[in-house]
This record gives sequence, structure tokens and C-alpha cells, in this order.
Amino acid sequence: MKALMRALRAMPAMLRVGFAEMVAYRAELVIWILTALTPIIMLLVWDGVAANGPVGGYDRAAFARYFTAGLFVRQLTSSWVVWELNESIRTGTLSPALLKPIHPLAFRAAENVVVLPFRLVVMMPIAVALWLWRPEMGMFIEARALPLCLLSIALAWAMNFLAQTVFGALAFFAEQSLGLFNVWFSLWALLSGYLFPLELLPSWARTIVWYLPFRSMLAVPTEIAAGQLGGAEALLEVGVQAIWVVLFFFAARAMWRAGVRRYEAFGA
Amino acid sequence: MTASNDPVVVVDRLSKVYRVPRKDPGLRGSIGSLFRRRYQEVRAVDGVSLEIRPGERVGFLGPNGAGKTTTLKMLSGLLVPTDGSIEVAGHRPWLREPEFLSQITLVMGQKMQLIWDLPPRETFELNRALFDLDAAECKRTLEELVELLELGPLLDRPVRNLSLGERMKCELAAALLHRPSLLFLDEPTIGLDVRMQVAVRQFIAQWNKQSGATVLLTSHYMADIAALTPRVVVISSGRIVYDGSLETLVDKLAPERRVVVMPLRPLSQEELTAAAPFVLEEGRLVVTVVVQEVKRVVDRALRELPVQDLAIEEPPLEDVIAQLFSSEAEA
Amino acid sequence: MKRLRHVVRATVASFRVAIMMAVQYRASFVAEAVVSVFWLAWTIVPLFVLFRFQRGVAGWSQDEALVVVGFFITLSGVLDAFVDPNLSAVVQHVRQGTLDYVLLKPIDAQLLVSVHRTAPSKLPHVLAGVIVAVIAAARLPRAPGAADLGAAFLLLGAGTAILYSLWTMVVSLSFKFVRVDNLSYLLRTFVDAGRWPTAFYPVVVRFVLTFIVPVGLMTTYPALALRGALSTSGLALALGVALAFFGAARIAWTLAVRRYASASS
Repeated sequence: MKALMRALRAMPAMLRVGFAEMVAYRAELVIWILTALTPIIMLLVWDGVAANGPVGGYDRAAFARYFTAGLFVRQLTSSWVVWELNESIRTGTLSPALLKPIHPLAFRAAENVVVLPFRLVVMMPIAVALWLWRPEMGMFIEARALPLCLLSIALAWAMNFLAQTVFGALAFFAEQSLGLFNVWFSLWALLSGYLFPLELLPSWARTIVWYLPFRSMLAVPTEIAAGQLGGAEALLEVGVQAIWVVLFFFAARAMWRAGVRRYEAFGA
Repeated sequence: MTASNDPVVVVDRLSKVYRVPRKDPGLRGSIGSLFRRRYQEVRAVDGVSLEIRPGERVGFLGPNGAGKTTTLKMLSGLLVPTDGSIEVAGHRPWLREPEFLSQITLVMGQKMQLIWDLPPRETFELNRALFDLDAAECKRTLEELVELLELGPLLDRPVRNLSLGERMKCELAAALLHRPSLLFLDEPTIGLDVRMQVAVRQFIAQWNKQSGATVLLTSHYMADIAALTPRVVVISSGRIVYDGSLETLVDKLAPERRVVVMPLRPLSQEELTAAAPFVLEEGRLVVTVVVQEVKRVVDRALRELPVQDLAIEEPPLEDVIAQLFSSEAEA
Repeated sequence: MKRLRHVVRATVASFRVAIMMAVQYRASFVAEAVVSVFWLAWTIVPLFVLFRFQRGVAGWSQDEALVVVGFFITLSGVLDAFVDPNLSAVVQHVRQGTLDYVLLKPIDAQLLVSVHRTAPSKLPHVLAGVIVAVIAAARLPRAPGAADLGAAFLLLGAGTAILYSLWTMVVSLSFKFVRVDNLSYLLRTFVDAGRWPTAFYPVVVRFVLTFIVPVGLMTTYPALALRGALSTSGLALALGVALAFFGAARIAWTLAVRRYASASS
């Protein structure tokens, strides 16, 4: 608890440092943001497919709404802590971070969070461009869906961060940890609604996907934002998200602790 | 055809000016620099002129940021000068012509060209191909280097398993495989233990004698200069402050000596007063005088004081040079 | 002639060292093969989902589109095995200052940095892509003739050249923005757009993906050649674009090195 309070008190300073760092390397940031433009590519393709009529319940407007919402959700929920952890473990720069009174993960979380407003700002012109291209998509988020949507995004962010922590912490144990993360990422890309709305899968596939965490990491907040998921069903899905967050938290914590113990036993 | 004693390095009013972004402190500064970057000019090298003859060993001495490394990089063609002229071995270095590159080599103290995961031998093989060296000649050169640097047991162990000193020796071998006529060294002894520093200096001196290569060395260690380079070029704030022999420099700058007397027995107050200008310092009698006065002071001490031991100390070279830099900074 | 021999010798030696270094890493072929299976799924399943609702999309049948996907996987594998390792190494060289050593060798620096690293463990991706392309091509109604195959190979080579050139231009950027280690992810996003036939995209995007960032050209055109749908002028156009990009890459590199030479300390 004390550690948490300490971390919270240090938040403003960490955010400020994170911001200064981010500005110093702003080119990198823009590039990072550009790399998340795959949804736009997918949107273009699906839009072409739906040119002659709706596909699987999605017409052009629905696709536009889905992928635009997906773009925002992706930007607001992605992190890169797996690469940072992997590097700091391999190069030994984790050691000084462990000595600081702030938990290194808290610092990373702060870093990842501070970038979000910037990402949002950069996304705005793209969203406007998309809206001008397909005005039939309308306003893709209703005011009353907003609170739940924000909660869902926050939970998705946490899932992503914690999942990446688990894989980042794998670097304590295995050299191939990034390879494993790539497998996870491939599954995520396929099954999270990143490349296509999960509604378009055949029903047997949809059932399987419901039991996997990936849906909660992107599809749920996206569908809520796009107005395609609402009411009691949405609440249920958000509840499922929360459960996943808890599970991931414990997994991450266990991995981290086991990893740090090993790290300190064997030296950097 | 150039005569063999024509200067191999000719530098005239060489300058290198950088534009460096500047950030105001604090959060506002961060936001500000997002939109509008401000620059300031840094004159890393400011009107440097010198000539070096083939086979010479020259040391560039100066504090960090003085412009030594920048000058060396311009001589090796890695940096393009902003102003002035520079000619090395009859070429303009920054054009990086293959004939020029085959005649020079650069060893940077903190950066390695050795391939980390492989034995040094593999780097040597690679360099042999990169410089298109004849197999037999290369073998001979390598044998020479292995002998001089005692590389025998190191050749086949991965570089990552070698100590820092061992790595440095292999770096030197890799750099000299193509028998360049110019050897540029940038802080070659940095981070090495004393024994290794001595070994490196000895090797460089030996190689210079054996191969006739011209040696240019930058360092902020006096010991490198004192041991290796009879000619020292002192650089401070991008300008040459002195160019000549080290002895002359020391004599010019520090014509003082410290005479230290260890007394046989403790002195009484009267004796201490009479011993002036000697001052009591931690049980010893000390005085600092100009070189010319040393004999007089020593004679007097031996006559009048109960001397058990007497020493004449030169001020540390570091202090001498530091004094030179600080006076330059004030100028 | 002597110079050429020198350059060839230097290239072969650099590549040999690249392989030796890669072998050191014990990145297991088996592990990579497993990863490529997952990656295959990620690349192919969306295609199946796409064609679930329609027989043809923008004039391409599923098998024809699958050929494009196969070529995409192949070229991505080539990118991973031969192009990207060199990219990361150059970024690291610039960061650590060891690019100086490359510049001091009497061999063209661009050539050296293009062959000095490799990741042979990524070759399973190339194989997977070829297999997919072959299976899809076998299912085409019209079997490709010798000329079609030849054109397809040539265009895949052109595609490699385009990838290489794009990579080189991106690396040249890294000289200025030193901390850009996610450049490879940027490149990958662009390359990702090449997984679909260019016909799937709106006209403007099609133009961009054929002439400005020709990732569409590098996968779609060989597929068109394979099914005999590419005219000679189309072939010439594609080769012309590849050549233009190669030249542009050379210019970008030269400018970047010059800038490095005047800006670094």
C-alpha cells in the first residue's frame, strides 16, 4: 500500500519526465503512431468489399464506424513495455531501476499513459479525414455510451499493459521471449477485432473467440464506442474485461516477482 | 613525386562549427520545443593550423570538449570541415577515396570494430577482404602484430570473453593489419588498467619505429603524452594553445619546484621562524621556488637546517596543463 | 577489374561473417518455423473471412488473391531475413558511433551495411510464402506458362529491390532521428498494405501503393504476371519503378552520410 502511495505521489514528476523525454524524441513518437494505421488499411479493403451491399451485417457506414472507433481504441490502449522490459533485462539496465523507490513498472505505466493525449491529438485529423470520406458513419460515439466506453478502454489498456508485462518478464527466463510475444501478438491481431469485426466470423469461431482474452483487449471497447454493443450485453462484456484484468494482474505479478528473484540471484 | 620528408598532414585554419538545438528548462520549455526549435552555434574547432611529418608521433592534449576528437575525425575523413583546408597523405580526407582510406586507420578508445560474438581472427579475416590484402603479406603482418601484442591465446576466443585490455590489443591488431602509414588514436588508453596502458603505449612506440607509421594520438591523460609523443599539441576550446616539445612546455609553464625537507628532529619555534621562507607542512619543511633559485635554497637548507631527507618535486604535469587551460579559458 | 574483384571479395566476406554471427544466436529454426505458422494464420485467415461473403472481390477470385498473399509472405520473409537485420544494425551503429568504422573501410558503405547482417532463421517464412503461392497458383483455372513464371520471378526480384530501397531510405532517416528503433515497425506497416491486391483499395490509395510506396506493386504485379494478366508495358513499368526507387535510395543514403559527416561529433 505504501509503495502504491509513493508511486502515486511521484506520478506528477514521472509524467513530467516522461513528457520531456517524449518531446525530445518526437520523431519516434510520430512513427510509433503511424505504425498503428493498419486499421485504416483494413477499413479500405472492407469498404471495397461492402461496395455492393452489406457484408455479414456490416454496411459501409458500419465498417467506417467500427474501424474509426478501433483506431482510437488501439491508440489509447497500446503500449510498448514488452520491448522496454526485454531490453532493460537483457542489457542489465533494470538493476538501477530496481534500486529506485518507485516500482519500475509504475514508472513504465506512467510513461505509457503520458503519451495518450498526444496520440489522441495526432489521431484527430485522421478521424476527421475518415469522417469526410464516409460521412454516413455519423458520430461514432453517443454521449451516454461514453462513461462505459472509457471504462472499457481503461480496462483494455490495463490488459494490454499487463499482458506485455508478462511477456516482458519472460525475458528473465528465456532469450526467445520476444518470439513468444510475437506469437501472442499474431493471435491478438487475428482474434481481437483488429483486422475485421469479430461478428464476421462463423458462429463456431465466434464462440471460441468469446472465451479468449483478445476480444476484451480491443473488440469490446471498439464495439461499445461504435454503438454496436450496448446495454446489458455491454455491461457483461465489461465485467468479463474486469475479470481478465484481475487474472492478468496476478499473472504479471507472479511472473515479475519470480523473474526479479531469479535476476537478483544470477546477477544482471 | 613528393620528397619523403614532405609533411604528410597539412592543416590550415581548420574550423568545425555545429548548430545544436537548445531547450529551455521546465515543462513550458518542453512544450515550446515541440513547436519551434532554437539553435545555438558551437565552435568545436576554431582555426587550427599545423603540419606533421611522416613518422612523427604527435599527441593532441586537451580537456574534454576541447576539439581533439573533432580534429582527429576531420583528419580521418569522418567529418567535413566547415572552414579551412586539410590535406592528409595528399588527399582531402572527407572525400574518403579508397586509396586514402587504405593508408589510414582510426582506433577509438571506447568503440570497437571487433565483432562481439566471434573470435578476433574472424574480424582480421574480414578486414583482410575489406582491404583486399595479399594473403602472404597479411599473414606476415599478423604474425608481427601477434608477437608484439602477445595475442597468441586470444585469437580464437570470442571477443565478448576477453577482458577490456585484451580487447584493446586485438583492436589495435585489427586496425593495423593493412599496414597504414597513418595511425590515428582517439583516447586509446581510456578505461584500461595501468599495466595495460603501459603495454599499449609501448606497442605504439614500437610499431612506429618498426613500420614508420605516423602516429596521431588524442588523450586527456598526461601519461600517454609524456610516454609516447615527443611533440604535443595542446588544444583548448577548439584552438591550438601550444605546439612543440613537452619539456619546453613544462619549463615554460611551470618554472617552479617544490623543495621538501624532512627534518631530523622537531624544530623549536625560533628555529621555525628562522627557517623562513620554509613553511611547516605536516611535519615537513616546504618551500616553492623558481628553478633558478633551487640551488641556493637547497644549499642553505643543507647548511642551516637539520636535514634528514631532502626532495625536489616538480609540480604534477596535470596541474601544469590544467593551469594552461584555465588561463586560456580566462583569456 | 581488380576493383570489382575486391568488391566481390569484400561482399562475400561480409556476408560470411553475417551468417557466422547469426549462427551464434542459436535462434532456433524450429522456433521460427512455429512462429511462422501463427503468422501465416494471421495473414491468411482475414482473406478467408473476406471471401466468406463474396466469390470475387474487385475482380479477384480467392485463389488469385491468395497468390498475392503468398508473395506477400515470401517478400516479408526476405525482408526479415536479409533486409531488416541490416536496418537494425545501422541504427545501432549510428547510436553507438561504430558507423565510423564502416565509413573508414575502402568499400562503399551502403554496400557493406546491406550485407553485413542476416537472420537465416527467418527463412521458414520465405518457404511458407512460396508454398502458399504455389498451392494457390496450382488452383488457378489457367496454369502459368514459362514466360509467366519468368516474369513473376523477375518481378519478385524487383519487389525485393523495392523493399531494399524503402528500407535504405528509412535507414537514412535514422541518421537524423537517432532514436528510431521502431523504424522496422514503420516499414512493416507499409509493407502490410501489400498483402491485398491493389485493386482492393480505392483509386488514390492504389496509386500510392504502386508508385509512391510501391508495396502493392511488389506483390500484385508478380501475381498478375503469374496468371498471365500483365502486359509487357506493365512489366516494364514495374521494373522502371523498382529502378527509380533503387536510385532514390542511393541518393538518400549519400545525403544521409554527408549529413552524418557534417553533424556528428
